Amino acid sequence: MSAPEKLSDVEPRFFSRAQWIAFLVPTLVLALLLPLLNAFLPAEHFLRPSDFTLNLYGKYATYAVLALGVDLLWGYLGILSLGQALFFALGGYAFGMHLLLMIGKDGQYKSDLPDYMVFLGYKELPAHWAPFHSFPFAAFAALWVPALLAFVFGWLAFRSRVKGVYLSILTQALTYAAALLFFRNDFGFGGNNGFTDFKRVLGAELSSPDTRRWLYFASIVLLALVFLLYRWLTRAKFGHLMQAIRDGENRVLFSGYATARYKLFVFVLVAAVTGIAGALYVPQVGIINPSEMTPEKSIEAVVWVAVGGRGTLIGPILGALFVNALKSWATRAAPELWLYILGGLFVGVVLLLPGGLVSIPGKIKALVARLRRPPASPASPEPAA
Amino acid sequence: MPRFLAFIILALVSGFGALRADDAAPDSGRALLVAAVLAPAKDQPAAVRALVGVEDSAITPVLNAWRAGELYLVVLADGTRVPATLATAATHVPSAAPDQLVALSVATGSPIMDPASSATPAAPLFFAPKQLKPIDTTAPLRRAMRDVLEVAGVADPDPKIRRESIERLGQSRKLEHLPLLKARLNVEKVSVVRTALAESIAFIQLADAEESTRLAAIASLGDAHSLAAAARFKEALAATPAPSAAEAEAMRGALRQIEGHWQVVNFFGNLFRGLSAGSVLLLIALGLAITFGLMGVINMAHGELMVVGAYATFVTQNIFVSFFGAGSTAFHFYFIAALPVAFISAALVGLVIERGIIQFLYKRPLESLLATWGVSLALQQTFRLIFGPANVQINAPSWLQGGATVFDVAFAYNRLFVIGFAILVVLGVWLVLNRTPLGLLVRAVMQNRQMASCIGVRTTRVNMMTFAFGSGLAGLAGACLSQLGNVGPSMGQLHIIDAFMVVVSGGVGNVLGTVIAALGIGTVDQILQPVLGAVMGKILVLFAIILFLQWRPGGLFPTRSRSLD
Amino acid sequence: MLNKITKVIGAGAFALGAFASSALHAADTVKVGVLHSLSGTMAISETSLRDVLLFTFDEINAKGGVLGKKIEPVVVDGASNWPLFAEKAKQLLEQDKVAVTFGCWTSVSRKSVLPVYEQNNGLLFYPVQYEGEELSKNIFYTAEAVNQQATPAVDYLLNELGKKKFYLLGSDYVYPRTTNLVLKEYLASKGIPSANIKEVYTPFGHTDYQQIVAEIKQFAASGDACVVSTLNGDTNVPFFREFANAGLKSEDCPVMSFSVSEDEFRGLPTKDLVGHLGAWSYFMSIDTPANNEFKKNFFAWLEKSTVPGIEKKGRVTNSPMVLSYAGVYLWKAAVEKAGSFEVDKVREALYGTTFDGPGAKYIVQKNHHVTKNVYIGETLADGQFKVLKSYEGVYGEPFLKGTFK
Repeated sequence: MSAPEKLSDVEPRFFSRAQWIAFLVPTLVLALLLPLLNAFLPAEHFLRPSDFTLNLYGKYATYAVLALGVDLLWGYLGILSLGQALFFALGGYAFGMHLLLMIGKDGQYKSDLPDYMVFLGYKELPAHWAPFHSFPFAAFAALWVPALLAFVFGWLAFRSRVKGVYLSILTQALTYAAALLFFRNDFGFGGNNGFTDFKRVLGAELSSPDTRRWLYFASIVLLALVFLLYRWLTRAKFGHLMQAIRDGENRVLFSGYATARYKLFVFVLVAAVTGIAGALYVPQVGIINPSEMTPEKSIEAVVWVAVGGRGTLIGPILGALFVNALKSWATRAAPELWLYILGGLFVGVVLLLPGGLVSIPGKIKALVARLRRPPASPASPEPAA
Repeated sequence: MPRFLAFIILALVSGFGALRADDAAPDSGRALLVAAVLAPAKDQPAAVRALVGVEDSAITPVLNAWRAGELYLVVLADGTRVPATLATAATHVPSAAPDQLVALSVATGSPIMDPASSATPAAPLFFAPKQLKPIDTTAPLRRAMRDVLEVAGVADPDPKIRRESIERLGQSRKLEHLPLLKARLNVEKVSVVRTALAESIAFIQLADAEESTRLAAIASLGDAHSLAAAARFKEALAATPAPSAAEAEAMRGALRQIEGHWQVVNFFGNLFRGLSAGSVLLLIALGLAITFGLMGVINMAHGELMVVGAYATFVTQNIFVSFFGAGSTAFHFYFIAALPVAFISAALVGLVIERGIIQFLYKRPLESLLATWGVSLALQQTFRLIFGPANVQINAPSWLQGGATVFDVAFAYNRLFVIGFAILVVLGVWLVLNRTPLGLLVRAVMQNRQMASCIGVRTTRVNMMTFAFGSGLAGLAGACLSQLGNVGPSMGQLHIIDAFMVVVSGGVGNVLGTVIAALGIGTVDQILQPVLGAVMGKILVLFAIILFLQWRPGGLFPTRSRSLD
Repeated sequence: MLNKITKVIGAGAFALGAFASSALHAADTVKVGVLHSLSGTMAISETSLRDVLLFTFDEINAKGGVLGKKIEPVVVDGASNWPLFAEKAKQLLEQDKVAVTFGCWTSVSRKSVLPVYEQNNGLLFYPVQYEGEELSKNIFYTAEAVNQQATPAVDYLLNELGKKKFYLLGSDYVYPRTTNLVLKEYLASKGIPSANIKEVYTPFGHTDYQQIVAEIKQFAASGDACVVSTLNGDTNVPFFREFANAGLKSEDCPVMSFSVSEDEFRGLPTKDLVGHLGAWSYFMSIDTPANNEFKKNFFAWLEKSTVPGIEKKGRVTNSPMVLSYAGVYLWKAAVEKAGSFEVDKVREALYGTTFDGPGAKYIVQKNHHVTKNVYIGETLADGQFKVLKSYEGVYGEPFLKGTFK
């Protein structure tokens, strides 16, 4: 996966047999085996993943979906969006509204209204909240709200051919403005506190291990499906077109393709998918607030992709997993030093490992090959940026 | 009359300087001061109020010292408690060491002598700095002091103090002050003070028994554009019983006059505040206009380079404090010294970042974003480990404190300084880029790196210098920000997005664009703020920029080029 | 290619599992969680609380621990990231199985961990002044409730200073919003017309207070106005700088701040703050034997401490620190009373438990709040408060909205 692929290199099949196995085995292990072990093994058994671990992996899986979106845009289409966390958070907010309404009278004030509305003096539920009583509506809103915003923003931006660094900074401004807006209590979404203290989803208590297992399962399944979807997109003719746009948009444009429409399509699709991931994220962590849509969060997602390896679909998943696991570990084991670890990792990856974690096996293989026949071949060229 | 006599006696005897506390006339200013200091805490306000109207030049300095925590209690060997201020010993006893202090007794105004000393003339008691504990004050006590000082201030030699005192007396609306103010009006020569006097007199006269006096007072307050009067009129108009028809009409007319005036004032005030906010933005963005605009490096650590500048200012301040002392004249110039220090230290850090990381990434601008993001995280933690997680304290030099009021618009000195400094920095950047050999090389390399390299320009060196220059500018911005806001490890994060927005809307690679964008964004923000509130103003500005860039993707002044991809 | 990657995933998963299940229990220690932000924007305030907690544990351990067991602190970094707070809380409760947690500063971090503590029946002590309107059976609020800070402070402004106009300035988040909501009701009940109250919010990290100060200056032209500030730590510097430079003085228009303590003074130009007011349940300057002892021991401990990166110079003590300290001792007393670390027993034992601490006497109430003294102080040039008035034994009342008529 190093050099840009030529058309003739592309395999006609979606997955080879080996690749199917490589896809299905971890998916099944993660989606089925771990929850089953968690459910049926005794509490202290060494093979049993704890509730905490499962919950953590579920969270990572939603992060991985976010990272996949960043990668599809950046690695394949050449759009470095610094605002993906906004779509993630919007999905989270949309679903969070439903979860908040589902608390019912179990809140602090025993009122039908969410707690924060009670103490901010709302007399009745604002009209735009009412449909969120319905689970399907909320789940669907987690998809179309981010997609709509992506459509409006993308339509404006791609039409006027804003690209490169400019686009990155515009997306950053967009998410920053949105975060400021949501931070305002007057905006009506709970301000800085956002939504918390969810009790149940689809009638099931969020605190029960059973519900948590299902949420975990849904996250892994979502990740697998999104992986397949993106894999399919990048394999087909469409995939080649994306990479062509990345490598020379004007040439594609001059060949008669309306590049702006392709870009817009992918941008909106990714926003919708990311929104769903956000919707699954919220019940697992139990809070959604505007700090989830600050530019730092989006940059973090970009970093996962860079660390894992962009332009590949497995890279972002690995990156999201690796960086977050590192963060979980370091904030406990070395609270004073973890920013150095993280900062050093970014610098190191960019400078020494531009292909990310996924390029390590290739590098090792190249090294071994070079050691076997020392003088003949010069060092392999770096992959093009 | 007895007070006046006492004053004369005091003036006569204090010339001899050897007066003891109990020798002073019982109701002279100094004696009353001593009595007030030594009174039990609950009686102190009343004791201080007894000084109202007492004419003694000692009262103002002593009360001011007391308020500022510079009045001390010296307990003599025999248990006598003597209130005193401290002064450098060398001015009274030539042989004293420079850091020795003597206590000037409030009762006499001269140094307290050492009773144990047998030398002739007797040696004074010496004190080390911080040896004595200042005498406390409380809020009621300080209000009493203020009352005294206001009345005394009406005759103060400093017109500024006269004016403030007169304004306060007017606001207190006590008829008893009327004769004092009227008497002053006869002798006052400074025009601003005369205006204040007239206003205060009118304010007090609002409570006059004569309707004609009241009407005249209302009219003159309207002419004086008094805000306090506007609030008073609104109250009176809404109150029951309502004022007479003539009075109400006069008040409404005066209100229209006052409000119209303040609309104009606020308009100019907004312009100034916009200019100042724009200058801050400009200082923050200029460095980025070089590193990002000219070089194409997305430096997410730009904010942290500003923090380096701010901490450099902090360190310089501390060095000045330990060398010259916090109260010295030299201390107030620390900020001048801090500017080059901030520039150089930020430039050095920038140099290290460029050599260590960025030089490998000129062909991969988007990845420079990631690497510098990592650098910014590491730098933040480094600040935290070196300077602690809390903000550090930076005291403004005296010449950056306070402000001037012209046409009712307040001009704070630190804001004026920032505007002037921004102009200087822009001028400097323009000169460096357009009038020096380095500038020529910079422009050549930035326009076409390969071509410049081909004709013999040492591009790596130019890159290095340019990045260090941009980083140094960030350091200067940080030094300036330390005079406006807080200095702490995460301060850089507050400004980084604003800085990018300014550079992008100005047009990448164009310093003039950055200047115009910064001033424009600053002014629009300040004009929107009073209408929409602090946050909505900012959000609208952000959306406006986003829309503006859809319309002009290259910013205000796009770089034109024929190349495609 | 993909096969290899699966292997990598597998290895990663194992590694994750390994770190996640490394909970070891020693018989003679009891694990206690410390959940504060040591990095990110809130590190500025919360790091001091970690320091004082570690000091308290050492102090207790030196005297034999709790129920004969030494306290083993488990320090985690919430990194100013609210979902991470929830994750860390889960980790503390489900993996480390801590007996009690001391932590959180911002309301949102508390809200984020609250469901975790309720689900796992954990125990959290929360030490920072807050907005009330909450009562969880798993949280003890040693913090000042609104009636232990804001309403006494306003009483002082009304009665002692005779102020009639109130400019309520706050950061836009739930604590200032709720506090001001309560204050507006309270002021109305004291006969202040709503035309004399102005309410303004600025975002976190706001740096430009030119407009607001210009407005305050015109608001305060009548001389009977004051500012009640709930601005959070960071934004106070630009605000007070602007305030002083505009020529506003504490005698004319005092600022009563609820979020500025001795710890914040370290980063503020204190000269600009002289004479402005604060209200807390503890001031470093309180001259009692208990407080002097506490300060002496804490500073001595800091001197010797080997915690990496700990600040040793120029340290101060403030109310949240002392309330953290008091929280640990209240918990210890309750554990000893109950003879057990079990949360349900400790909770029962906590009701009515008292502790004579640096800020006076603390009594745990049935409603999970703590009765304590409230002090109004004014700022001195050296960054200390001078007590102007004290209200003794104020009962903490979390639900105030709608109670003032």
